[in-house]
Amino acid sequence: MHEIALAHAVWRQVAAEMEKHSDRRLTQVRVVVGELSGADPESLEFALGLLVAESEWPHAAVHVRKEPVVLVCRTCGREYPMQEMRLRCPACGGADVEPVRGTQLRLESLEVE
Amino acid sequence: MAERIRLEKKIVTENDRLAAALAERFDEAGLLVVNLMSSPGAGKTSLLEQTARRLADDLRMAAVGGDLATDRDARRIIDAGMPCRQINTGRGCHLNGRQVAEAIEVYDLADLDILFIENVGNLVCPASFDLGEHRRVVVSSTPEGDDKPVKYPVAFRSADCVVLNKMDLVEATGFSPASFSGFVRDLGLDVPLLELSCKTGQGLGAWLDWLRTQREAVRCRAAPSPE
Repeated sequence: MHEIALAHAVWRQVAAEMEKHSDRRLTQVRVVVGELSGADPESLEFALGLLVAESEWPHAAVHVRKEPVVLVCRTCGREYPMQEMRLRCPACGGADVEPVRGTQLRLESLEVE
Repeated sequence: MAERIRLEKKIVTENDRLAAALAERFDEAGLLVVNLMSSPGAGKTSLLEQTARRLADDLRMAAVGGDLATDRDARRIIDAGMPCRQINTGRGCHLNGRQVAEAIEVYDLADLDILFIENVGNLVCPASFDLGEHRRVVVSSTPEGDDKPVKYPVAFRSADCVVLNKMDLVEATGFSPASFSGFVRDLGLDVPLLELSCKTGQGLGAWLDWLRTQREAVRCRAAPSPE
């Protein structure tokens, strides 16, 4: 819904990183969007593409990957993937669960040359 | 020569920075801050009206509320006995940290026990915008249907308490409280689910108790340890 603002936040972090590598050229940006992060990967990739096109590295590739949710049950310790928004533990039925993956929006890596 | 730079850095938005500053202010002032989220018409304002009427003698409370237009909600809350500042967001579908920071300027936070932030009626965007609050409450209501939790998982997942309002309409709407609570548990939510009716007053006691308990928890954490 607000992926243009998110894309600007991603880009600020890319630009800050590239300042440390000012002699290099950015060729690829990889971003990970957790399934429960609230962001839409396709819209974010589109918005980031617009920022890249206007940057000093207009040919850099943008890859936004959706990350599935993985949970841990605090009751029985089981680690399991989320199935269709069922987050409850499939082993013991417990609802006291913690997502260990799939909630974040993060800048995974850059490729430079 | 191509080189991969691994970063694995969480994206920090401008709102995240503003929310962190707000959280610090709220902690320093030692009050409880509650962010209320729901779809339009679920009963956030009604819940604050009832809270004002029943708790104003015990606790010092104030509110800020977001709506696209009008100050109708703020006037209702003020009429019920709680100071309230309206934020008109125009086309904005959620409140952000900057709007809240500006709206609370009229309050002396140290003189308050609880500040309520009534978000814009929307179960999508507000969930992604932290406002520095201590607790998030998602309000749902029986006419909306019992599958709201699984349709809006991000909002419900972020809740510290789920309020189910308009229990007086259960029969008329064919709503299944068991099915709703099943969907909440399916989301892996181990939080209180409070069934109530702002119209009849049914179940409001548990809501007020929950608020008092949260207020106490935040106050104890904020209180300086004895010398």
